[in-house]
Amino acid sequence: MRMLCAISALALAALLPAQEPPAGGRGGRGGPALREFLGLGPPPDAKAAERGAKLYSPNCGFCHGENANGASGPDLVRSPVVLHDEKGELIVPVLRDGRPDKGMPAFAAMTSAQLSDIAQFLHLRVELTANRGTYKTLNVVTGDPKRGEQYFNGAGGCAACHSPTGDLAKIAARYPPDQLQNRFLWPGGGRGAPRKVTVELPSGEKVSGTLARIDDFSVDLTDGSGARRSFNRDDGVKVDVEDRLTAHRTLLDKYSDADIHDLTAYLVTLK
Amino acid sequence: MNPRTLLFLLPVLAASQGLDPKALRLFQPPADSWPTYNGDYSGRRYSTLAQINAANISSLTPVWTYRIAGIGPQRGVGNPVIKSTPLLVNGVLYFTIPDHVFAVDARQGRLLWQYDWEDHGGHLVGQRGVGMYGNWLYFLGPDGWFISLDAHTGKERWRKKVADEKLQYFTTMSTMVVKNHVLVGVGGDAMDVRGYLEARDPETGELQWRWWSEPEKPGDPGSDTWPNKAAMDHGGGMTWMPGTYDPDLNLLYWGTGNANPVYAGQSRKGANLWTASIVALNADTGKLAWWFQASPHDTHDWDNVETPVLFDASVDGRPRKLLAQAARCGYFFVLDRTNGKNLVSKGFAGVNWSKGVDAKGQPIPDPAKEPQVDGSLINIPAGGGTNWPPPSYSPDTGLFYVNAARGYSIAYLTDTDEQPEGYGGRGGGLITEAVLEALEVKTGNIAWSHTYPSGTFGTSFSGILTTAGKLLFTGDPSQNLIAFDPASGKILWHYRLAQNVSNGPSTWLLDGRQYLIVGAGDTLYAFAPRGAN
Repeated sequence: MRMLCAISALALAALLPAQEPPAGGRGGRGGPALREFLGLGPPPDAKAAERGAKLYSPNCGFCHGENANGASGPDLVRSPVVLHDEKGELIVPVLRDGRPDKGMPAFAAMTSAQLSDIAQFLHLRVELTANRGTYKTLNVVTGDPKRGEQYFNGAGGCAACHSPTGDLAKIAARYPPDQLQNRFLWPGGGRGAPRKVTVELPSGEKVSGTLARIDDFSVDLTDGSGARRSFNRDDGVKVDVEDRLTAHRTLLDKYSDADIHDLTAYLVTLK
Repeated sequence: MNPRTLLFLLPVLAASQGLDPKALRLFQPPADSWPTYNGDYSGRRYSTLAQINAANISSLTPVWTYRIAGIGPQRGVGNPVIKSTPLLVNGVLYFTIPDHVFAVDARQGRLLWQYDWEDHGGHLVGQRGVGMYGNWLYFLGPDGWFISLDAHTGKERWRKKVADEKLQYFTTMSTMVVKNHVLVGVGGDAMDVRGYLEARDPETGELQWRWWSEPEKPGDPGSDTWPNKAAMDHGGGMTWMPGTYDPDLNLLYWGTGNANPVYAGQSRKGANLWTASIVALNADTGKLAWWFQASPHDTHDWDNVETPVLFDASVDGRPRKLLAQAARCGYFFVLDRTNGKNLVSKGFAGVNWSKGVDAKGQPIPDPAKEPQVDGSLINIPAGGGTNWPPPSYSPDTGLFYVNAARGYSIAYLTDTDEQPEGYGGRGGGLITEAVLEALEVKTGNIAWSHTYPSGTFGTSFSGILTTAGKLLFTGDPSQNLIAFDPASGKILWHYRLAQNVSNGPSTWLLDGRQYLIVGAGDTLYAFAPRGAN
């Protein structure tokens, strides 16, 4: 569950539109939901796009680029014709008739189905560009595992709390490298992992539990019996929230990017 | 109607029906109105009203609420969220959510009319409100439609297409009226389009001028900050938030958005003017008077659209016309608004993405901190040091107030092509904390700050209002509307709402009673002092 929360928070931060700050813990949204948000129209037909890719590459790629982002011929991913097209109604006539005045040949020998497949390939290229929910992190394992191990046992101070044969044994089998990197940088996602809180009342009574909610005016916790309790933060009430991630937080100000990549390279060896 | 009749009718319209143009001022609107997005042209969001004040704040109580009904989840964004600041003109509030305009009686919170638009695309990420000219309202549908309504009835007068949503432009701005110009900006950075700002005729909706966020062709001023024409034609720089205006200088001040492709800068080497900048434009011609770039060669999605706030202050014994902005890139800037000369550039959040500032006061980006395939650690959250929600400046304290985000993110490059497209990368969020900061305008130093214990603002960042009643109103990330002492940061009052404050609070006087208006999710709340009148 913790892992799911962390992943969804990270995913959400990546997917949110440019106008918004990242949200913590409201559940992620994948490519299809973001596509709807972006108003990109009907999703591309994956099978047709796959067929279309095989036709596109030998017939179109030379002029328009293998990824359709332009070469000697125009970029087709940013093309208004492609972006206004929904299911081939604008693209197919251009392919069939060509644009002789601009040096583009007609592909009149292809069937309508083939031309439509090429249109779907172009829609897939638009999808993979405009819909950032489809983006994949590339290779994050670029560091030196030996230096990473030294950092783990030395300057990073990681070994004070963690062990490669204890809590981190086979950690790399549980997370892909990019998630592993994000998780050691900040294990909890957005707000951090569940935290323990102790409320001391003016009477001196202390109540401890897992923090459920806190603001400037009240604090809620779940106590040992599973009951949720709420306290107003009136004068004389002391609230102590345990921060188990202090070491992780402190490191964020100390890491060089090379330290991070070395640590990742070391941790991915723990399989 | 002949012109003579029109002339005869105009004062009548102004007095009894429409918005009196004299209500649109640099500083401080008439007490009984809030006639434009920021209340006045300065963007200070400071009110001289003091009926609600630090001494009687405990008597502040809700007098009505208006909850949006019958709309349901909106495409891709969920339940309606009020991000607009309602106009208050002649006792009527005009506010919006994407696709919808509402006119509500300000005394009772009763719906007078509702206008519903059916979009065919565009992003429903927000809608910041309407502009008003006489008896006409100006609204933007998300799919690039500029729509004029009759303020009495909500009936559509006409509509004009101002942006192509199929190219991934969208339109969320509160239109802004300056003289006989309606200013319309655009958003959209999913598909590498070129930003622009338009002035349109309030009677006909026809284009008066258009300013582009990039130079038109190689050889034009600013083109030396781009490698080629294709990069300029797809360079971004959206204009999606209302700017500010100085009537004496006749200059508009506008923030421009991030460059495109967003995170992948390899095909647009150079500073990329005039993206991620503050630009000063002649209001009648759209001609560029000066510029200041907040995030040169931006590769972190740091839209620079945060309000360029105008204020006058004495510096070294000399009265100065100034402009301040807490920018998404983490820097607080103070400029001379007559010429763009820099007085202050100082981080109010982490700024490890820059190597300091140049002779003009502009940050120098550190290439090592651009997004990398294996990740580059940035000491600002992925959404930047702040975002669009309105800040405030109080002439009483000389402090600039901003809801800031502090924390860390890791910036990834996901498109290594020589010609990347779209976002081409992303900022992965790590820690985010929400902090209300009070900044000294002459130094950028933090006079006080308040870290909200509950963490991040999430998707509903709250705006700020200050008043002569020695109060600062804003929302926290835990559904509280809070009044702070603007001088010390001490909390004086709070009220728990059903959702987070999602717009900028505003205030005005009606029938001798001061109201405070806030939007929180799908509900507009009106507060007033108990017992007043």
